[in-house]
Amino acid sequence: MIKELEEVVDVPCVHICTVVPISLTVGANRIDPAVAIPHPLGNPALSPEDEFSLRRKIVEKALQALCTDVSEQTVF
Amino acid sequence: MRLELGYISVKDVKFGEKTELRDGIVYVNKAELLETIADERLAKLDVDIVHPGESVRICPVKDVLEPRVKVSGSGNVFPGFFDDAKTVGEGRTHVLRGMGVMTVGKIVGFQEGIVDMAGPGADYTPFSQLINLVILADKVEGLKQHEHEAALRMVGLKATRYVAEVSRNAEPDEIKVYETKPLQEQLLEYPGLPKVAYVYALQTQGLLHDSYLYAVDAKKILPTLIYPTEVMDGAVISGNCVSACDKNTTYHHLNSPVIYDLFEHHGKDLNFVGVVVSNENVTLLDKERSSNYAAKLIKSMGVDGVIISEEGFGNPDADLMMNCKKIEAEGIKTVLITDEYAGRDGASQSLADGHVAANAVVTAGNANAVITLPKLDKVIGYVDAVNTIAGGFDGALAADGSITIEIQAITGATNELGFNRMGGSVI
Repeated sequence: MIKELEEVVDVPCVHICTVVPISLTVGANRIDPAVAIPHPLGNPALSPEDEFSLRRKIVEKALQALCTDVSEQTVF
Repeated sequence: MRLELGYISVKDVKFGEKTELRDGIVYVNKAELLETIADERLAKLDVDIVHPGESVRICPVKDVLEPRVKVSGSGNVFPGFFDDAKTVGEGRTHVLRGMGVMTVGKIVGFQEGIVDMAGPGADYTPFSQLINLVILADKVEGLKQHEHEAALRMVGLKATRYVAEVSRNAEPDEIKVYETKPLQEQLLEYPGLPKVAYVYALQTQGLLHDSYLYAVDAKKILPTLIYPTEVMDGAVISGNCVSACDKNTTYHHLNSPVIYDLFEHHGKDLNFVGVVVSNENVTLLDKERSSNYAAKLIKSMGVDGVIISEEGFGNPDADLMMNCKKIEAEGIKTVLITDEYAGRDGASQSLADGHVAANAVVTAGNANAVITLPKLDKVIGYVDAVNTIAGGFDGALAADGSITIEIQAITGATNELGFNRMGGSVI
C-alpha cells in the first residue's frame, strides 16, 4: 500500500508499524515505530489519559516525518 | 535423558461399556468420558468417532492430540496441567498410534480449521489418516473468548489423558529409544560429526494465539533449553486458534518431524545436541530480546548448525529472520522451515520479511492456494464457520454444500514442522 501510494500516486507516506524490520523489508521510506501488533497506537496497560498522550506522540511523530525530506529509508 | 516410546497400534476405536484396550481396539465408555471432561464453562458436550475414508467433514477443529501415558520415569504427560510440573522425558511412555483426540465446537476465534476424512481435502491434512475421537463442546452463553479457549484446551488434555490410560499395561508393538545426554557429554559423543541444534519457535502472540511450555504461557519465557524427549512427553502444547494450516497442534508437537528426523540422523551424519524453545511475541522489543537470547544460547552450546522452525506467518517471519541473522552472525549455519503466503496465483512476495543470511529455506507450501471441497455426507461441528475462518470468506459455502477455500483453512495443510505431504525446497 505504502509503496503503491508513493510510487504510483506520488503521495508521500509514513508507515506506523510495530515490526520495523518488516517495514524496512517491504520498502517503506518513512517509518514511525508503533507499540504492539494487536494495538499499534494504544497500550491497554496505561490509563486512558496516558494512552491518549502516547497515541498523540506517535501521530505527531508521523506528521513530522511526513513533512521531512528523506534520501533513504528512515526510522523516526 | 533416555526415553523409550512404546507404540501400540490402534486397530479401531469404538464405544463400549468399559474404557479399555482389547485386541488392539480402544473401547471408550462415553458416559464416563463425558463425566471426566465436564466443565461448567461448556454447555453441550458430545463425543463421536470418525475413521479414515468416511464421508465426514469436521469443522471448526481447534486442537488435535495423541494419547500418551507415562509408564515409568518422572512426571506425567502434559506436565504442569495436572501435577506439579515434574520434569518429563525419561523412562517409558506408551503411545496409542493411529488415533487422535480432536476438539471441535462453536468457533473460539476465527482461525480454527477443517478436517475432511475423505475426498480431495483429506490429502491436505494428516489427521484424515487417524481414527479420531471427536469431542464436541459448546460454550455457555456469555463466556468470554479466552475462557472458551482455556476450557476447550483443558477438555482436550483431559480426554486425551483419560483415553491414554488404557495403554498403561499394554504390550507395545514397537519400542523406539531416544536419548540425549547432558550437553557437555553430548557435544563429545560423536567427534567428527557436525553438531546440530534446533530452535523451536512457538506461536505466542496472545489473544488466542498461545503455546504452553510445562503449562507456562510461553510468551512469558525467555528462550530456554529443553531435551527433545521432554517434547515427546507433552512439555509443549497448543493453545492456539491461529490459522489452521500452519499452527502446530498438540499432536504436531508430540510428533514433530524435525525432532524425530534429527534423531534418525543422530550418530550417523550429525550429532543432535539439543533444542532451544523460543517464542513469537507482539512487540519489537520482545522479538529482539528473544532472538538475542536464542542466539546467545546457541552460541554457548558450541554447535555448527541450527534448524529454525516458524509457527504461523506474517509478523513471525520477522522472528524467523532475526533468529537466522543473529545465529549466522556467530558463524553458525542455519536452515529455516516456513510456509508461504504468495497470493492465490503464487506470484506475490511470499514472506513478510527476509534477510540475505536466510539462504537455505525449506517451504511447506503456499497457504493461499485455493481448493474446492465437495459436499460430504456428514458434518461434525458447524460448517458455516467456513464463511468466517481465516482462509475462508463470505460465500465460501455454496448452496450445494461444497466449499471453496484457501488451503490456509485446512488443519495442518502447510505445517512448518514438515508434518505434511506437500512442499518443495529452495536453496
